[in-house]
Amino acid sequence: MGGRAVAETVLSVKGLRKTIGGRPIIHDMTFDVYAGEVFGFLGPNGAGKTTTIRMLVGLASADGGEIDIGGISLRRSFPQAIAQVGCIVENPELYKFMTGRENLEHFARMSGGIPPERIEEIVRFVDLERAIDDKVKTYSLGMRQRLGIAQALLHRPKLLILDEPTNGLDPAGIRELRQFIRRLAEEEGLAVFVSSHLLSEIEMMCDRVAIINKGRVISVGPVQDLMEQFADRVAWTFPPEAERRGRDVLSGLPFVERVWPDGEGRLYCRMDTERIGEANAALVRAGVPVLGIAAKTVTLEDLFLALTGGGGEDGAEHARTGTK
Amino acid sequence: MGPSMLALVQNETIKLLRRRRFLVVLLILAVLIPIFTYAQYRSVVTAQERMGTTDWRTLLQQQIVDTQNRLASSRLPEEWREFLKIRVQQQQYYLDHDINPMAPGAPTFARGFMDQAVSLFLPMIIVVLAVDLVSAEYSEGTIKLLLTRPVRRWKVLTSKYITLLLFTSLTVLMTLLLAYLISGVVFGYAGWDLPVLTGFDVTGGELVTSAVFMLPQWKYLLMQYGLGWFVCIVVGTITFMVSVLVRSAAAGMGIMMAALISGTILTQMASTWESSKYLFVVNLQLTDYLAGTLPPIKGMTLPFSLAVLSVWAVAALIVAYAVFIRRDVAS
Ligand SMILES: Nc1ncnc2c1ncn2[C@@H]1O[C@H](COP(=O)(O)OP(=O)(O)OP(=O)(O)O)[C@@H](O)[C@H]1O
Ligand SMILES: [Mg+2]
Repeated sequence: MGGRAVAETVLSVKGLRKTIGGRPIIHDMTFDVYAGEVFGFLGPNGAGKTTTIRMLVGLASADGGEIDIGGISLRRSFPQAIAQVGCIVENPELYKFMTGRENLEHFARMSGGIPPERIEEIVRFVDLERAIDDKVKTYSLGMRQRLGIAQALLHRPKLLILDEPTNGLDPAGIRELRQFIRRLAEEEGLAVFVSSHLLSEIEMMCDRVAIINKGRVISVGPVQDLMEQFADRVAWTFPPEAERRGRDVLSGLPFVERVWPDGEGRLYCRMDTERIGEANAALVRAGVPVLGIAAKTVTLEDLFLALTGGGGEDGAEHARTGTK
Repeated sequence: MGPSMLALVQNETIKLLRRRRFLVVLLILAVLIPIFTYAQYRSVVTAQERMGTTDWRTLLQQQIVDTQNRLASSRLPEEWREFLKIRVQQQQYYLDHDINPMAPGAPTFARGFMDQAVSLFLPMIIVVLAVDLVSAEYSEGTIKLLLTRPVRRWKVLTSKYITLLLFTSLTVLMTLLLAYLISGVVFGYAGWDLPVLTGFDVTGGELVTSAVFMLPQWKYLLMQYGLGWFVCIVVGTITFMVSVLVRSAAAGMGIMMAALISGTILTQMASTWESSKYLFVVNLQLTDYLAGTLPPIKGMTLPFSLAVLSVWAVAALIVAYAVFIRRDVAS
């Protein structure tokens, strides 16, 4: 992660705003995406992910703020700025009545200056050689997704923008896509911008993440930091009279980082869930009765609750680290 | 930076052909022209059988007498009377100058076909060609492929419009070609040099023949198909605007068909509603000015109709560009 300081800023968004039908949908969004990283755009349904992406790729106009791609203003020099972008917004839309190759040729003519060898190369890259001369209406969703990616990468963009790319794919397809995206960033040095409403997905493929809700960026930071703040929480339930002793025992264990009450008679502690047994044994040895143990995986809802201040000290802490 | 206009037009042409729009147009022509040819053939044969002669002078004379008898019966509506009166005067003029207005032959058929097709049939064909040129990209979502590339939006729309102009011209050309080739099987291919009269002027319900002159039929056809081409371009441009404004091809088709058909109805009863002459659909029968029949509304002239159609086309283009350039692409 040390290289990031020198990595080129490929996408820079400052103060982006959008109002639709008199209703503000996007408020003052600001974030940067660097070359060679996978940047997650995480938010629940209706958060404004697609609306933001539409503005990033020129499908919708912004009502305020600046979008620079490779240092070029999208508003002032649209062709030069957008030439560096490949994208799939929502579904990969293709001409179903044409073959895969005809679709790529169509796209190549739209971009200008793409040699025919590049089409062959990209077809091999996404592994569609056998089906490329079939009509797209015969393709499966996975094949369409791959053709969509071929189209998005055909003109060698610096920035790849994908809106919920795993939608509708099976687990194998998702895994494959994830590896593919990582490879693009790591080996080809692309900046990849991926939106999702699934925390787990972002965790598995992104370097950094912007968390958005109701059209605002709540936090931007390395995924690692985010996960460390939230991962591996264990909730312990003790009888009321044993709560104090339980807390002392847990706090004293070397692998427990922090202990705090949830206000409903339970104690939370941040620790590796694989060591629940050890912690339990320690409690038993100290004669503390345990009524219940629950390993909590963090859901997106928890995260939002925490980040927007509803989740007590924990959320407040991450919000601080997130906005540094 | 970015692609050339030629490349964009190439893309649009490929898509239009792949969508089989032009094929449908050719098929409609190839089916309907033989039907019209046969109908024409039947009407000639029937007339000859009824009169017991094949001499066109006798036939034309009989037609004039028939019409005069109808005029005498005096229960006709006023506009219809006037229309028939003008026609009789014109037929008499042809007879006096010993020119057969309907001399059989493929060129004559092509002339009659354009007169019949220019206000409804050809415009409908053009609507088929143009109605989803833009809206299909929106309804299929592929508009995203066009607008996220290094091409300004006006250029994307222009490439589509140029493609439409190309195929509209091609359609008019194919109409002439197919009308000539197919009808020639029955009527023979001669008749390019036959004389045709034009320059009739209708003033105050009387046919003015002072400016009438004779043209070889091929020149007349050239002028006539030129006017037909103009009508098709205007209808195509208006359909193009509808295609930008309306997402669904079915809705666009409905709007244009309703407009064209109500235009046909209006021209038949418009003389009582004078300001309807500013509607584009009332001005489509341009070839009538060449043939010298009574215009649907008094005071309508060829320059007037050309001006009305031009204004409609320019306004449609302005609306199409303004909306296409400004509008956000929603899902
Ligand atoms: N054309 C529109 N007209 C009115 N409201 C809109 C329009 N487009 C988006 N919105 C509103 O903007 C908000 C954000 O929508 P958007 O599609 O960007 O969300 P999203 O984060 O992509 O959600 P999802 O995960 O469901 O795809 C929603 O509340 C939606 O109702
Ligand atoms: Mg979305």
